[in-house]
Amino acid sequence: MNITTRTQNDVTIVAFAGSLDSNSSPQAQQALEGILAGGARKLVVDFTALDYISSAGLRVLLGAAKRLSGAGSALRLFGLNDTVREVFQISGFATILAVHATEADALRGL
Amino acid sequence: MTNALRLTIGADPGEVAGVNAAFAEFAETHALPAAIRRTMLVALDELLSNTIAYGFAGRGSGEVTVEVELRPDRLTVTLTDDGRPFDPFGMASPDTSRSTQERRIGGLGIHLVKEMMDEVSYQRRADRNVVVLAKRLREEGP
Repeated sequence: MNITTRTQNDVTIVAFAGSLDSNSSPQAQQALEGILAGGARKLVVDFTALDYISSAGLRVLLGAAKRLSGAGSALRLFGLNDTVREVFQISGFATILAVHATEADALRGL
Repeated sequence: MTNALRLTIGADPGEVAGVNAAFAEFAETHALPAAIRRTMLVALDELLSNTIAYGFAGRGSGEVTVEVELRPDRLTVTLTDDGRPFDPFGMASPDTSRSTQERRIGGLGIHLVKEMMDEVSYQRRADRNVVVLAKRLREEGP
């Protein structure tokens, strides 16, 4: 799992490459906690290079979503492949998280 | 070229990554479609991490055997462990319609496996848990 972060105005864009599973989720959680501890309130997650996600990865996303549910906060995702999309649909995450097709869509209005 | 893969790991969460790497290599060797490979990797992660976290509680050791068999129309993975009797598919499915604040992750992994696989089964056999996962493959046209 490779995690890269960049900022654009007040939006933090985090890209995950590889797999978000039981092995890599502690690393992902640590990265997201660091970003949130740094004061970021608007987070865009780039899954373009994410191969697959399991429930361990969903747990990490849910934790971030809970912390970013207040006014002025946002958590958006884009670039999901068909398998990641299927996991989101089956788990119900497709309805509780904001999933966009492209980075431009995800950034619009933030 | 053999169409099967078999490996045995200890009951250690750190060993799941090795199984996933071995399966990914198998998938590449046999040119499995990406969607099939990814789906099986999700299922392996869910079941192995579950078994290793709960199946050997109170014991110092244990082992899990992973057997992969590829046929033209079907990919089958059999997981056998000597942990306490546990049917992962016997649990109720979680409520996936709750809001962000109310959501819990418990049981979600097994729910994913049941939904994403074409067939799942559980048997207790010779003091072992035997879980079989199968995914149908589309046959190539002539």
